[in-house]
Amino acid sequence: MMPIWTKSGEKRAVTLLKVQDCHVLRYVSKEESGGKTAKLLVGGKNVSPFSKPESAHEIFKEAGVPQKQKVTTFNVTEDAIIKPGTPLYAAHFRPGQFVDVTAKTIGKGFQGVVKRWGFKGQPASHGQTKTHRRPGAISTNKAAKVYRGKKMPGKMGNIYRTSFGLKVWRINTKHDIIYVNGSVPGHTNCLVKVRDSKLPTYKDCNKNPPFPTFFADGDEELPEDLFDKEIFQFTDSSVTFA
Amino acid sequence: RVSSDGKPPKFQPPPKPVIIDRKTQKEERRFLSPEFIPPRGRTDPLKYYLERKDMIQRRKVFNIPEFYVGHVLAVTTADPYASDKSKRFVGICIQRGGKGLGATFVLRNVIEDQGVEICYELYSPRIQAIEVLKLEKRLDENLMYLRDALPEYSTFDVNMKPVPRMDHEDIPVNKLQVRMKPKPWSKRWERPKYNIKGIKFELPEHKMKAAQKWSQPWLEFDMLREYDTSKIEEKIRKELREELEK
Repeated sequence: MMPIWTKSGEKRAVTLLKVQDCHVLRYVSKEESGGKTAKLLVGGKNVSPFSKPESAHEIFKEAGVPQKQKVTTFNVTEDAIIKPGTPLYAAHFRPGQFVDVTAKTIGKGFQGVVKRWGFKGQPASHGQTKTHRRPGAISTNKAAKVYRGKKMPGKMGNIYRTSFGLKVWRINTKHDIIYVNGSVPGHTNCLVKVRDSKLPTYKDCNKNPPFPTFFADGDEELPEDLFDKEIFQFTDSSVTFA
Repeated sequence: RVSSDGKPPKFQPPPKPVIIDRKTQKEERRFLSPEFIPPRGRTDPLKYYLERKDMIQRRKVFNIPEFYVGHVLAVTTADPYASDKSKRFVGICIQRGGKGLGATFVLRNVIEDQGVEICYELYSPRIQAIEVLKLEKRLDENLMYLRDALPEYSTFDVNMKPVPRMDHEDIPVNKLQVRMKPKPWSKRWERPKYNIKGIKFELPEHKMKAAQKWSQPWLEFDMLREYDTSKIEEKIRKELREELEK
């Protein structure tokens, strides 16, 4: 994470996400998948094929692409289908766009009720016998049972969570890095899924995105760094208020 | 000497004298701002490389002078609510923290009997000028104990003129021993973990001895805590030199 300053001198915190060896693996049509839209399978970081079983090699052999560590699905409309085997780059996103980021949260192991659910526990003194971080009562007398989903101690973390509506401030096309506003679930160097935001406030946000994606062998020559309009670029002189 | 052809030997001019400018060499080797050195961890070095590029870019446009803890600085920042749209604060630097773009330094001064500390970010675009008024290092790298010292040690004149620097060589070390207010202090500065050499402790002997109970003499021999930054520093210095010359 890194600080970033706007043109008015305010500081924002920003997370760096690297797009490492992303390729489209397979196209699944609407009828085949049984969903509402067609799907595209996309693979992430390269990994050695020897640690996976032979059955897992098939998709990657068809697409002509090395073995990937993670495979995710994206729901896509019919006009945005991409041929399997095309690489995806960070320039697929543009500064000023809004994005949802999904990742597995940091695993905390088996945790008690105070840390996992934020219960208040019991006082430290005034006669409490061996009861300081326990849940206390778990149901009423009339119910005569414990409801399903009762908050109790258990394994915490290591589940998929999404942060919605994160602004993209800057894109580095040379190293394929996306600078995304705020924090993102997961530990450093973990695998992350970045998707155009589904929030209704940001539906009409993206004007002229690279559609269906940014192709490296195309005609467009992008500069090394793409900045949002509101970012303070370090090539400018210090901020003054008129 | 006998030449191979029988002709007289060709005139060889004497070699030109190579002037080794030891002063500039010393300066080049000497100071690397502490926020350039990456902390020990498992982050990708690419992240530190990108941050360093931004920091160098900012340094090309705006001059950040070399300063240590103990220097007296004057900082002018932009402020939308001030009448002149800018604010100037003079103070002694008591702490330099943070790595990369988020590097900060804390300036302390006593204005009208009220101690004031302001934490500035080195790379914030609001900062319009940093002037070094007085150059002197102190015995410690963290002068937080000035909060519990007598206020005369933290007062600096707001309209102080910059003290001219004599040599381009060493920065003088001020071996001042500061006198403290009576206890209680904000931290127990007599304990060995703070390792403070700049306080004149007027505590009784038995209290100083009792404080030594918390000493950890094994820490300096702990090999897992060692973080040798010499090679990293060399690389970063070389990178800085190349980029700033462009």
